[in-house]
Amino acid sequence: MGELQLMKGNEALAEAAIRAGCKGYFGYPITPQSEILEYLSEHGPPRGMTVLQAESEVASINMVYGAAGAGARAMTSSSSPGISLMQEGLSYIACAELPCLIVNVNRGGPGLGTIQPSQGDYFQSTKGGGHGDYRLIVLAPSSVQEMASFVFEGFDLADRYRNPVLILADGALGQMMEKVTFPAYDPEEHRILKPWATDGARDGKERRIITSLHIQPEKMEELNLRLEAKYNLIREQEVRFELVEAADADILIVAYGLSARIAHRAVDLARERGINAGLLRPISLFPFPTEAIRALAERVRGVLVVEMNAGQMVEDVRLAVEGAVPVRWFGRMGGIVPSPDEVLQVIEQMDGAPQETVAEEVYQ
Amino acid sequence: MAEVTEKPAQEKKLTLKDFQSDQDVRWCPGCGDYSILAQVQRVFPEFDHKRENYVAISGIGCSSRFPYYLDVFGLHGIHGRAPAIASGVKLANPDLNVWVFTGDGDGLSIGGNHLIHMLRRNLDIKIVLFNNEIYGLTKGQYSPTSVIGQVTKSTPGGSLDYPFIPVTLALGAETTFVARTMDRDPKHLQEMIRRAEQHRGSAFLEIYQNCNVFNDGAFFQFTEKESRADNVVYLEHGKPLVFGKAKDKGIRVNGFTPEVVSIADGSHSVSDLLVHNEEDTTLAAILADMTRNPGLPRPMGVFLADKRETYDAALTRQVAKARAGAADTDLQALLDGEETWVIQ
Repeated sequence: MGELQLMKGNEALAEAAIRAGCKGYFGYPITPQSEILEYLSEHGPPRGMTVLQAESEVASINMVYGAAGAGARAMTSSSSPGISLMQEGLSYIACAELPCLIVNVNRGGPGLGTIQPSQGDYFQSTKGGGHGDYRLIVLAPSSVQEMASFVFEGFDLADRYRNPVLILADGALGQMMEKVTFPAYDPEEHRILKPWATDGARDGKERRIITSLHIQPEKMEELNLRLEAKYNLIREQEVRFELVEAADADILIVAYGLSARIAHRAVDLARERGINAGLLRPISLFPFPTEAIRALAERVRGVLVVEMNAGQMVEDVRLAVEGAVPVRWFGRMGGIVPSPDEVLQVIEQMDGAPQETVAEEVYQ
Repeated sequence: MAEVTEKPAQEKKLTLKDFQSDQDVRWCPGCGDYSILAQVQRVFPEFDHKRENYVAISGIGCSSRFPYYLDVFGLHGIHGRAPAIASGVKLANPDLNVWVFTGDGDGLSIGGNHLIHMLRRNLDIKIVLFNNEIYGLTKGQYSPTSVIGQVTKSTPGGSLDYPFIPVTLALGAETTFVARTMDRDPKHLQEMIRRAEQHRGSAFLEIYQNCNVFNDGAFFQFTEKESRADNVVYLEHGKPLVFGKAKDKGIRVNGFTPEVVSIADGSHSVSDLLVHNEEDTTLAAILADMTRNPGLPRPMGVFLADKRETYDAALTRQVAKARAGAADTDLQALLDGEETWVIQ
């Protein structure tokens, strides 16, 4: 096992990137994630990493495009407004099928918004974000440990599927300090062949061109179908979630990231009051744990989605539940983090309400 | 019946207070931005504009908090996009007196593209760029004007990025008015704001501004009273470039290369010195280029004040011409055309 350390989420993530063999980091300062750039600027170069503060997030993602195209493990990080600027590049990278890691330390929006934590970028992260039919693999950490672990996992997934991977965190996870253990990880052992990379015409290699242009509609559709097949494989193979007290739950909470930590506490409080609450925490937001939610929906009385946004993941939960039981939503916005007591109140209402009433509330 | 001639009501004279908003100014204590705000508020009332025609537009950064503190209509926009937003504002309502407040990060990194295109179009917009050679709002990373080797939070080993010289960039972008001043010379700062205001077209004003928290003293040799006279040469139209505490030094041009000569030791006289001409684009480029030479004093003042039709004026003219030439045509007549037939 690795060594135990006390670190800020942003710094743990940055340290993990170096240990994961990331060769290129390209970023731009923005609160609340500038520590990633700063940590890597200090610790990256001595350990073999190129770190460049670009002139904008648009430049950052295109530098990632280039570095990933050349076959290197490359990443960028930003917060919500900066991630919006990267959407064009992400669409191209997804179409060109290049592996890379993007980190969004989500803050409140829309617009310039706040610098406080939020989960308002769920739609943007999981539904594509840029133009065209594509998906990112989205991992949602809920602890400093996962801020670090998901970097290793993210790079491996990106390489395996030749697809950009997004770590969707939030301002609180980036700023909080917790203990973290770095796993033993040798990038060399995880290195895979990249026969598509534009890494030089040595040894009589055939010419390679990376592009996202397929002007003939038949060719483009062929690519679309291939991408869809890949996304379906990802849906089959890479769903990740955590269950807490879900086996005998009457009320199931679905929450990810920071909200899941709050929901976990609310579940404990509810259990102390004799209410059988449980939690399903999606870890991969794409692919979404649709089947797991659907299976649990058969056994619970109601589902509660807790998010720090105006109700985004709740749409995917409703699609999963397919009306089997009522689905309620609770959230706070603007950078405000809900308290476990607020969530508990909603659980208590759901617990006390007859089935029909709960159902009506959902669709009013 | 006696003819009543109505005297137009005397417009209320504007004062400094008219431009002070009720917002708490939230810059760090000691920031150079306070001086810039104070001088703008002092000078704006002098101008021949109704208060309601002033607009302050900004992007993101410490400088970009300006619209909150200046009591005029404002638009706090998107990082780097203020020049584009300002272009939209000016073209939607050419009567407005549009001022963009930006910084070296906002204006020259992500905003570099928008900035150069606004400048070359020569829209009648004033752009004030606070240069502190650092990112202040995000707490101390290097900017596009940070010097080579500068140690910042994102360059612990020293910056490798070669910096822009903002006035040189503006000249390269075909700007018709280019000037430079500093936060610690309020009189000169006021004068440069006046000059920018008087210019018709894009006016680019760079202000050396001290970030006393993340890049303290970056310009002290130019801005502090004890060192300023020997390190700054003030540009004045039609006057020779003389500087120094005792006014004993001057700038002579040897070929295209400016050099410092003494006018006190008998080797040279004032008549040997370069005489500033604000309308000379070649001279402007030579003067701006002095910035890269640490052996030369730093020019402050108006580098270039050129005359060229503004984009907004040209647009208005073109639209008027097109309208005048257009016949008063009936749409149905156009659709019917000359050759119409009915399918039976």
